[in-house]
Amino acid sequence: MTASSAAQPDQDPFILKVENLTKRYGATVALSDVSLSIRRGTIHGLLGENGAGKSTLVGLISGQRVPTEGAIFLDGAPIANVDVKAMEKAGVFLVTQEPMIIDHATAAENLMLGIWPSKNGFVNWRKLRDDAARMLEGTHIDPQALAGRLDAVARRKLNILRAMFGGGKVIILDEPTAALTVEDRAQLFAFMRQLKAQGVTFIFISHYNDEILEICDACSVLRDGVLAGGTEDVGSLTSEQLSELVLGRGLALFQRERRTFADEAPVVRVRNVENGHLAIPEFDLHAGEIVGFTGLPGAGAKELARALFGLVPSQGSIALEGQATRPLPADPRAAFDMGIAFLSDDRRRDGNIASMSIGENISLSSLAAVATSGFLKPEAEKALSQRYFQAMGIKAPSPATVVDKLSGGNQQKVCLGRVLATNPRLLILDEPTRGIDVGVKQDVLRIIDGLSKSGVSVIIVSTDTDEIVRAVDRVCIFENGAIRVQLSGEAITSERLRQGAEANA
Amino acid sequence: MSQVTTAAATKPSTAQPKREGGRYVLGWVLHNVVWIWLIALVIFFGLFNQFFFTTFNLQNIMVQATVLGMIGLAVALPLLVAEIDLSLPANLGFSSAIGALAYSDLGLPWFIAMLVGVAVATAIGFFNGLCITKLRMVSLIQTLSMMIILQGALLALTQGRTLTNLPDGYVWIGQAAIGGWPIMPVIFVVALILVAVILRRTVLGRSIYAVGGNPVASNSAGIRVDRIKIITYTIAGFLAGVGGFLLGSWQMAITSNQGSSYLLYAIAAPIIGGVSVFGGRGNVVGVLGGVMLLTVIQVGLAIVSVPSFYVGMIGGVMIFIAVAIDAIRVRYFA
Repeated sequence: MTASSAAQPDQDPFILKVENLTKRYGATVALSDVSLSIRRGTIHGLLGENGAGKSTLVGLISGQRVPTEGAIFLDGAPIANVDVKAMEKAGVFLVTQEPMIIDHATAAENLMLGIWPSKNGFVNWRKLRDDAARMLEGTHIDPQALAGRLDAVARRKLNILRAMFGGGKVIILDEPTAALTVEDRAQLFAFMRQLKAQGVTFIFISHYNDEILEICDACSVLRDGVLAGGTEDVGSLTSEQLSELVLGRGLALFQRERRTFADEAPVVRVRNVENGHLAIPEFDLHAGEIVGFTGLPGAGAKELARALFGLVPSQGSIALEGQATRPLPADPRAAFDMGIAFLSDDRRRDGNIASMSIGENISLSSLAAVATSGFLKPEAEKALSQRYFQAMGIKAPSPATVVDKLSGGNQQKVCLGRVLATNPRLLILDEPTRGIDVGVKQDVLRIIDGLSKSGVSVIIVSTDTDEIVRAVDRVCIFENGAIRVQLSGEAITSERLRQGAEANA
Repeated sequence: MSQVTTAAATKPSTAQPKREGGRYVLGWVLHNVVWIWLIALVIFFGLFNQFFFTTFNLQNIMVQATVLGMIGLAVALPLLVAEIDLSLPANLGFSSAIGALAYSDLGLPWFIAMLVGVAVATAIGFFNGLCITKLRMVSLIQTLSMMIILQGALLALTQGRTLTNLPDGYVWIGQAAIGGWPIMPVIFVVALILVAVILRRTVLGRSIYAVGGNPVASNSAGIRVDRIKIITYTIAGFLAGVGGFLLGSWQMAITSNQGSSYLLYAIAAPIIGGVSVFGGRGNVVGVLGGVMLLTVIQVGLAIVSVPSFYVGMIGGVMIFIAVAIDAIRVRYFA
């Protein structure tokens, strides 16, 4: 009688247990002897630095990988030698960090991916459409919209909904808030609480302490592949205690000493930027100033950053100190040559060449500086790579290590090193600390802070309000392709930023 | 009340050095599989027929490897930028016919005529580059259609005849020898070194690897991706043009389907030698290994007098094994 077990009042309070789980890849131990229990109907946080073993653990639980040693129990029953499909059938769904979306299929089709209503191998399209429409009620997502056209939240929701309607009892969310704004996040959390009330159990991975404290009931912390600690009652913890568990040491969060530039002449003057998404009549920047760009997705913060670097063709002009007023750069090469550098928000897409070494990545944007008439000077290149390899504090045996093998935070440092090696005068950073852990995040913010002291002007595009409060001198809040609000000095607070552009409209 | 528990941090056990060593050896073997496979086949063919070890046969292999080497080198370049050029063997044949006709029909001196042929090949490479970058045509299909066009054009140009009216100067390089050693392979060695220097020592070479590794990131890193791809296709066209001249010179004839038979071998050689079809990985030494391996298979099968009906199949199986071993290497030891 398997069906009745779920209805028993004295059922196991833990829906999922893992015991002595170990995963080895050749000589590397990704996870070592981890045991933990997850209580039914709770949101269980999973924390740890990059490379601590979070992804490995959820990969094992969701059936993507097979453990080297140890056992997993779902509802008290051991599960072994299963794949993703079998685990989904058992009710365990993994919603990965990058939304698993097929861009050219509709929202409805994505929702039903792999769980199509079918008979004899033929998909019942009518039922698929009807079911999808019912699921998407109240989410403002058009079932017939192409998934590629949906925004980040909608794509994330699609994945969670798919997990939920696929009969998910345990839904694992791997950094679900990475691409979301504060509002979207609140919406997502409300959605999670609603599902939790219906008895769904969540495993929630995040880098942000405040998110863990806000939504989780219990949490476990992984460090270097072992369980570093955990608590059944998140309410008893403070943010500092969490950080300490994650890093294993006291962590000082970075805070920039804000400066005002009222009586200085600007060194970067941007005028009349226009493209399909933007209309910025003027924007000035001072030497050594750090400005934060923020706003909802599509409001113009990212768009202006990309336009200034020549990634999006745009009208408009820019004058850097000592240079004539010129049109905005036509492509990234022209931008680098003018002294403008840009760090992408997606290091896997357009940050690093993963197949090349750290050193080759670092010098990639400055090859002309380490070559004579097209021929590379190995010593000069080596010196350049070595310099930024050390300055960024990249954790790897040497600059010859292939980037592919690095953790996310170290990959981000490689990107930053490449960008800084061009000696920029205007540095544009798009979400510079996205998806990297709290320790490396402080390193990155410190590097940027130090750079500004040498006179470089910096733009940080970010949706992380905490980061903006800690790192910038001035904030521009974007709306409808324009800068709606500018804040500086004491006016920059988390509360004010969370209100967004509307508060002053 | 706080319920924080801190588990004792057990040290992750380090792997046993013995297994590590075995794995290292296996990794090394797989990394150099082309060369090991090559030596094994040389010994194998040699045991079957002593003639395989003669100087004459070595010279024969070198000459045979030259044309395949030129075209394999050419094919490797677009592969490195994560594209492909299927038209190169057809380009080789077509451009050499242009060169020959420029001599015989236009009356140009043979050297100038040869240069015209190489220039045409280079221009076709450049044009392919333009199509796949500026028009965003898919390289597989664009170069496939270009291959068909060039094969057809060669047939039209020759009217099905074989061009044999080649001047002494033109055929000299294909026949010349010093003390019995042919000098044609020297051209291949020079090309090999030049491409190696470009790839390893120049900004262009680094850019080629970067574009092949990740074109979007390369653009953001300030590399003009389209320009790099066009230059790569142009160099490939040039190499095919030189290869066309060498083939015509060596055979002392240009047939109406000159070069076409090289298509599959020319693509197989760099891939066997470790050039990734996904771009960004591979080097000249690997291409040389792939070329030598394929040539030894071809020559060896002929020498051990495998009946001609089986040559294609056995050769194919040998290539398959080489590629499968390489795939295993990438899967488990990359």
